[in-house]
Amino acid sequence: MDFNYLLNQLVNGLSLGSVYALIAIGYSIVYGILRLINFAHGDILMVGVFAGFGVLAVLHAPFVLAILIAMAIAALFGVVLERVAYRPLRYATEEATMITSLAVSIFIENLGIMTVTAQPRSFKVPAILNVIHNWGSVSFSNMNLLIIAITVILLVVLVFFVTRTDLGIAMRACADNLNAARLMGININVVVSVTFAIGSALAAIAGLMLAGQYGRIDPLMGFIPGLKAFVAAVLGGIGSIGGAALGGFVLGMAEILLVGLLPPAFSPYRDAFVFIILILVLLVRPSGLLGTGERRRS
Amino acid sequence: MLSRRDKRLTIIGIVVLGIVLFILNQVMADYYLRIINLIGINIILVASLNLTNGFTGIFSMGHAGFMAVGAYTSALLTIPITQKAALLPDLPLWLANLHVPFVAGLLAAGLMSMLFALLIGYPVLRLRGHYLAVATLGFLVIVRVVLTNIESITRGARGISGLPGVTNSWWIYGTLVIVMYCLWRFIHSSYGRGIMSIRDDDIAAQALGINITTHKMMAFCIGAFFAGVGGALWGDQMSVISPNFFSFNQTFTLVEMSVIGGMGSMTGAVVGAAVMTIIPELLRNLEVGITIMGMTLPPLYGLSQLILAALVVIVIIFRPQGIMGRWEFSWQHFAREKKKLRLQRQSSSEQEK
Amino acid sequence: MKKKVVALLMVLVMALAIAGCGKSDQSDKSAASKEIKVGALFNQTGDQSSLDVPGLNGFKLAVDEINKKGGINGSKITLVAIDGKTDQTACANAASKMVDVDKVVAISGLADSNYALAAGAIAQKNGVVFLTSGATLPSLPDQVGDHFYLVPFGDNIQAYAGAEFAAKDLKAKTAYMLTDKGMDYTMTLAKYFKERFTKINGADSVLLEDTYQTADVDFSAQIERLKGLKVQPDVLYVASDPSKCGVIVKQMRDRGITQPIIGGDGYDTPLLVELGGEGANHDVYFTTHASLSNPSDKVQNFVKAYKATYNSDPENAFAALGYDSMYLLADAISRAGSSDPAKIVEALNKTSGFEGVTGKISYTGGSRVPNKSVTVLTVKENKFEFVKEVLPE
Repeated sequence: MDFNYLLNQLVNGLSLGSVYALIAIGYSIVYGILRLINFAHGDILMVGVFAGFGVLAVLHAPFVLAILIAMAIAALFGVVLERVAYRPLRYATEEATMITSLAVSIFIENLGIMTVTAQPRSFKVPAILNVIHNWGSVSFSNMNLLIIAITVILLVVLVFFVTRTDLGIAMRACADNLNAARLMGININVVVSVTFAIGSALAAIAGLMLAGQYGRIDPLMGFIPGLKAFVAAVLGGIGSIGGAALGGFVLGMAEILLVGLLPPAFSPYRDAFVFIILILVLLVRPSGLLGTGERRRS
Repeated sequence: MLSRRDKRLTIIGIVVLGIVLFILNQVMADYYLRIINLIGINIILVASLNLTNGFTGIFSMGHAGFMAVGAYTSALLTIPITQKAALLPDLPLWLANLHVPFVAGLLAAGLMSMLFALLIGYPVLRLRGHYLAVATLGFLVIVRVVLTNIESITRGARGISGLPGVTNSWWIYGTLVIVMYCLWRFIHSSYGRGIMSIRDDDIAAQALGINITTHKMMAFCIGAFFAGVGGALWGDQMSVISPNFFSFNQTFTLVEMSVIGGMGSMTGAVVGAAVMTIIPELLRNLEVGITIMGMTLPPLYGLSQLILAALVVIVIIFRPQGIMGRWEFSWQHFAREKKKLRLQRQSSSEQEK
Repeated sequence: MKKKVVALLMVLVMALAIAGCGKSDQSDKSAASKEIKVGALFNQTGDQSSLDVPGLNGFKLAVDEINKKGGINGSKITLVAIDGKTDQTACANAASKMVDVDKVVAISGLADSNYALAAGAIAQKNGVVFLTSGATLPSLPDQVGDHFYLVPFGDNIQAYAGAEFAAKDLKAKTAYMLTDKGMDYTMTLAKYFKERFTKINGADSVLLEDTYQTADVDFSAQIERLKGLKVQPDVLYVASDPSKCGVIVKQMRDRGITQPIIGGDGYDTPLLVELGGEGANHDVYFTTHASLSNPSDKVQNFVKAYKATYNSDPENAFAALGYDSMYLLADAISRAGSSDPAKIVEALNKTSGFEGVTGKISYTGGSRVPNKSVTVLTVKENKFEFVKEVLPE
C-alpha cells in the first residue's frame, strides 16, 4: 500500500473527523445535562449554514463575519428551540424526548423546504481556502487545514471553559447531578440555554466547513451528518466531551480509511462496516469508548 | 383467561369485522379501500413495534430493517418464475425455481426476520438505552447496504417489481386477527408479565429471578417476526420494493403511530395506526390549496408533515402515554359501564322514593 | 386540562383536514362545462424534490398556457396536483386518489423509476394513462403495461450515445467508469454504456469500474484508485445525479485528472458549473434531452415564460420535461378528439415528430419509449455549449 496514499487518506479522515467531532460535542453536552438526544441538532446545523449563506450571498460580507453571524444565529435558534420544545419535557422519559426531537427535526426540515425550496445551492468560499498544498504527493487544501485547526482551537477553548469558568463548571455540575446542582443554587435554565447555544454554534461552524468543502447546501443537508455525529457521540461515550471528540475522529477516519483500504468490491459496504465496528466496540465497552456507565435518573 | 362471555363477544366482533370488510370491499372505491388495507398493515407493524418498544422497553430503531427482510424474502418466493428469471437472471438455481403460495411466503418472511433478530439480538440486547438505539439503527443501515449491493439476489437499487399483489382486505385483516391473538396470548402469559416487569425495573426483575436475556430475546424475536410479515404484506400491496423504501423515516413513521396511540397497549397500536394513516390523507387536501370562507391558501407542500410532526410533539408534551396509555380495550369495561349505569339508575330511583 | 387541550387540538386538525376535503379548488368547477382532469404526481418534498419541483412547475406552466388559449378542443384542463413526498406509500395513495376520487384521465410526473412503477401500476390497473415526465428506465413501459409512456428518452439510448461519442468523437479506446450504486438511474446508465463501449472497443476496454454511494461527498479514495491504474484510460464515464456531478468533476480536476469526463442528463443542471468550478470547463461532456441555451424559438419561449412565472431560470431539464409532458398529452387528446383514456392511448401510439422543448418525440413500432435524439453538450466558459446531436442505433 502506497504510503502517500495512506497519508492522503489520513488527512481526509482527520478533516472529516473534525467535522463530526464538532457536531458530536453538541450532542454530548446536551445529553450530559438533560439526558436528551437532540435529533434536530443536524437541522440546527442547517439553519446556521443557511444563515451564513444568506450573509455571504446577500450582504456580501467577509467570510469571517459570516461565520460569526452564522454561529450566533444558530445559537439563538438552539436556545429558542430548547425553550419551546424541550423545556416542557425536561423531566420526561428518554424515549419521549428522543421521539420529540425526531419530530422537531422533521418539522424544521419541512419548514426549510417550504421557505427556501429544496433546490441545492452552491456555497462558495474565499478562493484562498481552495489552495492546495503538495508535500511530495500528499495533497491537502487550506480548507482541510482550517477545519482541523478550528476544531483543535475550539476543543481547547471548550475544555478551558468547562474547567476554569464558573459557567462551565456549573455545566459539569448539572451533568453530574441535576437536582444537586439546583439545590446548590445553580440556575438550571441558564445553564441549559448556554449549553444549547454552545452546541448549536459548534454545529454551525461544522456545517459551514462541510458546505465549504463540498460546495453545496440544501434544507436536508443536516440529516445525515447529524445522524453520523450521533453515532460518533455514542461511540465515544455519550455525555463526555472528550468522548464525542474521540468518537468523531474515529468515525471520520473509519469512513475514509474503509473506502480507501477496502478492495473496490467491498467499498459499497462501507457504511455497513462502520456500523459493524460500532457494534463490536459497544459490545466490548457498552458505554462507548470513554463512557463511564449509564447513570440512571433518580 | 377470557371468560366464556368475553370469548363469545370477541368472536362476534371478528365476525362483524368480516361482514364490514365484505361490504366495504363491494361498495368502496379503490382509493378508500386502499387506506383501509393500509391501516390493517400498519396495525400489524405498530403492534409488533409496541411489543419490543412499549411492553419491553427496548428502544429499537431498526424495525424497518425487519420489514425489509420480510418483504424481500416474500418477494423472492412469491413472484412468478418467469418474472423472476427476467429480473434476476443470476439467482442460484434452487431459488430461481422456487415458487410458493402466498401463505408460505408470509411465514418465510416472518421466520427470516426472526432469524436475523436472533442473530443480532444476542450482541445488541445487552446494550441499554441510546446505545441500543444506535446499534439497532446500525442493523437497519447494514440491512439496507447489503440489500442494495447483493445485486444478483435483490437487483440492488433497481428494486424488484411485479410482486403478485395478492394482498387484499382478507389477507390483511385475517393476518391481523392472528397477529393480535398471538400478541394477546403472549402478553397475558407469564412471559408477557416478565417483559413488562423488565420495562418497569429490570434490576428488580432480575432480583426476582426473571431471566432478562431470554425474555428480551423473545420479545425482540416475536416483534421481528410480525414486522417481517407486515413488511411482506406491505411490499406485496405496493407490488414493487426497493431498498430505499425501508428507511429510517419509515421506522420513525411507525414510532410516531406507536407514540400517539400509546406505546404500552395493543389497542393503542390499533388507534395510533388508524389515526396516523388517515390524517395524512385528510391533510393532503389542505396541501393543494383550499378556500375557506373566502380566504385562499396557496399550495403548501410539506404542510402535512409539519402538522403531523407538531402533533407528535404536542401529544408527547401533554399526554405522553398516548391516547390509550396502558389501557386496553376489554369487554368487561362495557359490562362494568352498563352495570354502573344500571346501579346508578337504581340508586337514583330508590332515592326518589 | 391537558386532556382537553389535546382533544381540542385533534378536533381542530380533523376539522381543517375535512374542510380541505370538501372545498378544494379542483372540485369547484361546475360539472356542466366539459373539463379534462389531469393528475400531476410529483415529489414536492423529500429527497426527490429538487428534481420534481421544477417538473411540476413546467407542467403547471403548460396547463396555464393551454387553458389561456382556450383549452383542448374547447375543454379546460383541471389539474389535480398531489405531493408524492418521496414516499412510496404516499405516491401509491396519491395515484389511487387521483384515479378513484378525482377521476383523472391521465397522470404525469415522477422522476424515479421505482416510484413511477408503484404509481404507474395503479394507473394501469384502472385504465388511466401514465406519462412519466422524468423516469428513464427503458423497461418501465413493458413492466407496467400498455397505458404507460416515457416522455424522456430511455437511459439505454443516452448511454449508447455517450459510448458512441466517446469511441467515435473522442477516439477513446479504453474507459474508466464511476457509478452511483444507490440509484437505478445511474446503474442503468452504466450498464448500457459498458454494453455499447465494449461492443465497439472489445471486452476489456473498460479498465476499472468503480462505485460510490449516493450520499458520498468525498471521492478521494476513488480518485486515488484511478490514478493508481497502470494504464490510464482514455475517457471517464461518470454516472451521477445532478447533485454530485459537479462535486465529482471538481475533485477530479483538482487532483490532476485530465481525461475527458462524460456523463448523462444528470449533468444538465446549473450545479455542474457552480460546484464543478473551473475544472468543468475542461473536457466535460454529457448527454441530455435538449439544450436550454438552444437559440430556437421553442426553447427560448419556454425559458422566458418559466422565468416570468417562477422568477428563476428552469433549474434543470426536468422542468422542460414536465412542460413537454403536458403538451404531449394535450396533443394526443386533441388528436383523439376525446378524453377517453383508451382513445388517448391510441393517439399517443400514433405520435410522430411531436416537437417539444426537449426534442422530437415519436412512439414508433409500438414502443412507448420515445425515439428521441440525444444532445451532447459541453461546458465552455461556464456555459453549456452544444456539441452535436446523436441518434444511436
